[in-house]
Amino acid sequence: MTSLSTRPDGKRRQLAPYAFIAPFYVLYGLFMIVPIGAGVYLSMTEWVGLGTPEFVGLDNFANLARDTSFHKALGNSMIFVLISVLIVVPASLLIAQALNTRGLRARDLFRVTFFIPMVLSPIVIALVYSLLLDRDYGLVNSVLRALFGAGTTDWLGDPTLAKVSVGFVLLWRWVGYLTIFFLAALQAVPRERYEAAELDGAGPWRTFTAVTLPGIRPVTAFVVVTSFIGSAQLFDEPFLITGGGPGEETLTVAMFVYRAAFDRQQFGYAAAAGLVLFVIVFGISQILNRLLSIGRTS
Amino acid sequence: MSAATPTPAAARPGEAPRTPAPVENRPRRRGSRTGRVALYVTLTALLLVFVAPMVWAVSGSFKPRGDIFEYPPNLIPSPGTFENFRNLLSGQPFWNWFAISVVTALLATAIAVFVCALAGFAFAKYRFAGKRLLFSVMFSSLSVPFAVILVPLFVLIVKSGLSNPWFALIVPWVAPAFGIFMMQQYIIQSIPDEILEAARIDGASEFGIFWRVVLPLLRPPLGALAVWQFLQSYNSFLWPLVLISDTDRYTIPLGLNILFKAENRSFDLVLPGAVLASVPTILVFLLLRKQLLEGLSAGAVKG
Repeated sequence: MTSLSTRPDGKRRQLAPYAFIAPFYVLYGLFMIVPIGAGVYLSMTEWVGLGTPEFVGLDNFANLARDTSFHKALGNSMIFVLISVLIVVPASLLIAQALNTRGLRARDLFRVTFFIPMVLSPIVIALVYSLLLDRDYGLVNSVLRALFGAGTTDWLGDPTLAKVSVGFVLLWRWVGYLTIFFLAALQAVPRERYEAAELDGAGPWRTFTAVTLPGIRPVTAFVVVTSFIGSAQLFDEPFLITGGGPGEETLTVAMFVYRAAFDRQQFGYAAAAGLVLFVIVFGISQILNRLLSIGRTS
Repeated sequence: MSAATPTPAAARPGEAPRTPAPVENRPRRRGSRTGRVALYVTLTALLLVFVAPMVWAVSGSFKPRGDIFEYPPNLIPSPGTFENFRNLLSGQPFWNWFAISVVTALLATAIAVFVCALAGFAFAKYRFAGKRLLFSVMFSSLSVPFAVILVPLFVLIVKSGLSNPWFALIVPWVAPAFGIFMMQQYIIQSIPDEILEAARIDGASEFGIFWRVVLPLLRPPLGALAVWQFLQSYNSFLWPLVLISDTDRYTIPLGLNILFKAENRSFDLVLPGAVLASVPTILVFLLLRKQLLEGLSAGAVKG
């Protein structure tokens, strides 16, 4: 970095950067810090939305610790996090590897088409999939009936299959998006390293672990953290496709918060649940960022 | 980061590596023909998995209600009909929803692009006290789950009488940290300090430098961020869901949601709605796909 502000060149230049970042911090303060503060306060109250919130200390948290729905929601959210990090992320890397093959034709067609689900509204995706997966009329069961004579699978009504279905939609929606990052990373790995590995007689697997993986480490870290944060607060897909059901089999923490606040008017309780999610997600992603050294100023 | 253009021949050993061109760095594949066929078959199968649901929905939207679930499904509806679209547009305030969604998304996009470029510029090209701390505060806001602010933000917005969609769907969302990060990355990589110095010597103000010198050079990341922000805003569901109760002021996702949740599951209205709702996003994406895909990946790779 050359000497931009090293020369004593008047106050204006020293103040300019603060003025430039001010709009962000004003909005950040008003719509992030203040609400988090208000959330901390609300979480220690009992409040139905009318009148004055009644201070109850840590009761909400104690109740959350005993609430089986909340446990279920935490468990389900964890399952969706695992699906994202252990299935969606590796699948994107695999597709990126395939798209990175030398001399592949129509690479852009594949890249762009795989990305399109990310562009669509979750509601559009959800309603198309709930029609496709419908037990009685859905195309998926019609195909199964035609092929195997048995197509009465209740894709959205069976506890396990409902999770699988939501997981599949997550995969379908996110994989093309994450592929973009991996593909760019793969293309940035210096070719000499591959040539050196080839000279050393390394096979494809060895090349992958010794050259490719280290070369794409920063992007992998970024993708893993992004997927973690995104899936830990999952709401749209399960809310729209299964409504959290059957029972509470696809209820996530974000849905738990929504229901507590807007179905049952337990605003304090909802705020407490939101805060628990915040602590978990923020804590884990700060640790991941530190471990993987993401987001440093250059 | 240009779109990958395959180089004709493999670099021969001993040849100096062509310097910075990050063009063709792919691992060499041993030319097995079957492997290549398998690759194309797999990718094409995958392409079908991605395209099939969309094709089914588009084709279904032109079918009479009774034919939507026909099996085997006809790709080309016969008889085809615009009836569904007509019913949707005449029976529902669809254009209202559409206008609110598009206009709020456009406004949010315009403001966000400006706020992010300005802050990204400051982080990229100035040294100032507290920069590291401010940057990591900004960056850490990426890991705040929306669920934690959902309830308190809703309460605050309603209590202060700002639950009007023209405020509440736009203003809280116009400073995405991701956008600042992306801008900062791009500016560091591609705007040399010299042109800023030159402008200063010519007597430009600091904001003048940003507005007249830097901003015009930011076309690619501005395009990327604009698409990204437009999609975020246009597709958002949870926040409008809690905020807006008046059906006339619904956004498109909310409108589709009530149609779908209706008693008779009006899929003959929901499918054309879904198709129409997707037109703006697909259009914006196809027009600016190059900027978006490259902007997204450039930030991450160099980050």
